[in-house]
Amino acid sequence: METRLSRRKEASLARERNFEQIIDGLPAIVALFTVDGKIAFCNRRMLEYLGETFEQVQAQASAYNFHPDDRDDVLTRWAAAVQSGEPFDFEARLRRADGAFRWQRTRVFPLRNTEGRIDLWYGLCIDIDDHKWAETLLAGEKRLLSMVARGVALAEILETLCRVVEDAAPGRLCSVLSIDPDGVRFRHGAGPSLPAAYNEALDGLIMDRNYGPCGMAANLKTQVIAADVASDPRWAASSWPGLVLGHGLRSCWSTPILSRDDKVIGVFALYQHEPASPSQREHELIRQFTEIAGVAIERAHSDASLRRSNAFLAGAQRISSTGSFSWRVATGEIAWSEQVYRMFEYDAAAPVTLELIGARVHPEDLPLLDDMVQRARRGVPDFAYQHRLLLPDGSIKHLHFMAHGTPDRSGQMEYIGAVQEITDRRVSEEALSKVRSALAHMARVTSLGALTASIAHEVNQPLSGIITNANTCLKMLAADPPNVLGAQETARRTVRDGNRAADIIKRLRTLFGKRDPTTEPVDLNEAAREIIALSWSDLQRGRVIVRAELAEDLPPAIGDRVQLQQVILNLLLNAADAMSGIDDRPRQVVIRTERPDSEHVSLTVQDVGVGLDAQSAEKLFEAFYTTKSDGMGIGLSISRSIINNHGGRLWARPNDGPGVSFTFLVPCIADAAAGPRPAMVKR
Amino acid sequence: MSERPLVCVVDDDESVRESLPDLLREFGFEARPFSYARAFLDSDCLAQCDCLILDIAMREMTGPDLQRELKRRGTDIPIVFITAHVDEKVRQRVLAQGAVACLYKPFSQADLLAALHAALPAQ
Repeated sequence: METRLSRRKEASLARERNFEQIIDGLPAIVALFTVDGKIAFCNRRMLEYLGETFEQVQAQASAYNFHPDDRDDVLTRWAAAVQSGEPFDFEARLRRADGAFRWQRTRVFPLRNTEGRIDLWYGLCIDIDDHKWAETLLAGEKRLLSMVARGVALAEILETLCRVVEDAAPGRLCSVLSIDPDGVRFRHGAGPSLPAAYNEALDGLIMDRNYGPCGMAANLKTQVIAADVASDPRWAASSWPGLVLGHGLRSCWSTPILSRDDKVIGVFALYQHEPASPSQREHELIRQFTEIAGVAIERAHSDASLRRSNAFLAGAQRISSTGSFSWRVATGEIAWSEQVYRMFEYDAAAPVTLELIGARVHPEDLPLLDDMVQRARRGVPDFAYQHRLLLPDGSIKHLHFMAHGTPDRSGQMEYIGAVQEITDRRVSEEALSKVRSALAHMARVTSLGALTASIAHEVNQPLSGIITNANTCLKMLAADPPNVLGAQETARRTVRDGNRAADIIKRLRTLFGKRDPTTEPVDLNEAAREIIALSWSDLQRGRVIVRAELAEDLPPAIGDRVQLQQVILNLLLNAADAMSGIDDRPRQVVIRTERPDSEHVSLTVQDVGVGLDAQSAEKLFEAFYTTKSDGMGIGLSISRSIINNHGGRLWARPNDGPGVSFTFLVPCIADAAAGPRPAMVKR
Repeated sequence: MSERPLVCVVDDDESVRESLPDLLREFGFEARPFSYARAFLDSDCLAQCDCLILDIAMREMTGPDLQRELKRRGTDIPIVFITAHVDEKVRQRVLAQGAVACLYKPFSQADLLAALHAALPAQ
């Protein structure tokens, strides 16, 4: 019986020993407490962690080894649990043998005896400090990066960064210096826990490698640890050790902040009141937050340069009276630069719509706007328009629009363009264009057989006056008594008309003696484009929209480029004239080039003007239709003789809709490979 | 005092309107210039006009247009056309329509007088 009892006791003791060994071997702290909070047992791990003997631990007050800030919480929970008999858990910092507090997650269970009464409490602590640290840093990093993303001011971001670092590494004073974009001076970034006088002393300091660890770190692009400033020989010659020690700081760890392209843009530093070197964990901390500081500083630099270039652009736009805009046709999104708002005299906050634009466009120019919108909807890659604005105060502005479209990723057209206010230019242009239209007009009457009639007409008018006046003068002098005053007046008129005739001759001679017609390959498309450009302002003034439908791969015509261009100009200006009274539809001219057969190319000018019936279409070219030199007749008869001389034809045909189409057809180079023909056919 | 015959000049060329009436007055005619056809038609001279000196090429209503209009109204004023364009076809056409003469500018005093005498046989 005794042996059985002792055997059972032995077995029980052996189990207890095994159990103790298992408990001691756990990588967690395990302890048993009596109901009044006294420690009854703890495992080896706990004694090792605390660096104390069981007796020492036993002698300590409850919760003695927890962080002072956490102690009250631990005791309150303990008391509550004793009351309720329920298990509980909490997170609190527990002091380690080296004095460091580490976060532990503690779980406490009641142990009940066979009667169900609580005899003991059983506690288990798991070290969650590394986890907790990583979590804190991650939260800090997230907060900082979101500040960067939101564009919060750099100073605020860097100050928060210092606070986050200081929370994570108690006893460290954090500082961030940025470096001027010129790379010469330090700028104060943040140092919320450092003495203000010290921060001030560093702000604007030249980056000298011999001044202190920050200067050295920036210059050498490497981390510099001054574990004990008082005994560090590296800055013996500098005033820095005196300054930093004067503020009660003993150690400083400086790390350069690098940009993505590996330039030093700042220095991250931690200061301590005692000599110290960074721990492994602090190295990690420094690495992580130096990087975040870099992101923040770089973003601030690029924001600043963006602001600078924006300001520069706005300034340039104001000076040049040019604005810019973007237009996403499919969604109708339009964005204007400040200067465009100013031109349209709208508040810069107003969202831009086509209606808003239309409200300012001169009513007579609205067809131009419609035309632009339609072309944009068709996806025309480039367009340019000149139109007027009619502002609420009744003033008129002239604008020149130019835009280039590119399809975005989803294939929708987005136009980027410039708007220039050309009101001043238009005033001088109008003066100029009077001169030019006189010249263009002369060009229209300059040619071949019809020129004779024109010269005769121009010269005969003043000649007629001269002869009549001279006759009158003679009559007046022959009277009895002679009418001298009358004679003088008529003689004066004679002189004036003589001068007028001489001027006409001089003008005609200039044109007439210009050059002989030549024969060369002429790109009709190019020739038409030049004429459109040349007459652009005239057409715009007449609110005429020109649409060029130029055939691709058009072989060159054979002829005299200047003469053919005179014909095109003449047809274009006639078309504009024919539409000058049209207000119920856009005044549109289409210039079309085609290749009707292998030996000819043709050019058609189609207007929507007053039109004509089929019979008068042919009469147009007759000399009888010639009225004045600026009339349609002369231009057309000259044009026809030019085209006939080229071995071609010029005809007019009423459109199916309103207006007339004038078409000329001239020989072309039949096969591009065969080269130009030697000469045009003589007629 | 017998009334001097009234000669009206319709021409859009200012130097003709200045010079021709003066010369006509020297010849003893009454003269009135008009710068366009409609102005003449709307004037009170229509009934008194003894002879019309008329430019061919004018804006809006040309000389031949005015000739047709007068004929349509049954007004039989003798017309002497003047023109700076030498175009025989046009000249023949207006003569066929009943014009007394058609002179090319510049015309001589003798041709003008001959035309006026043809237009006003009583003179």
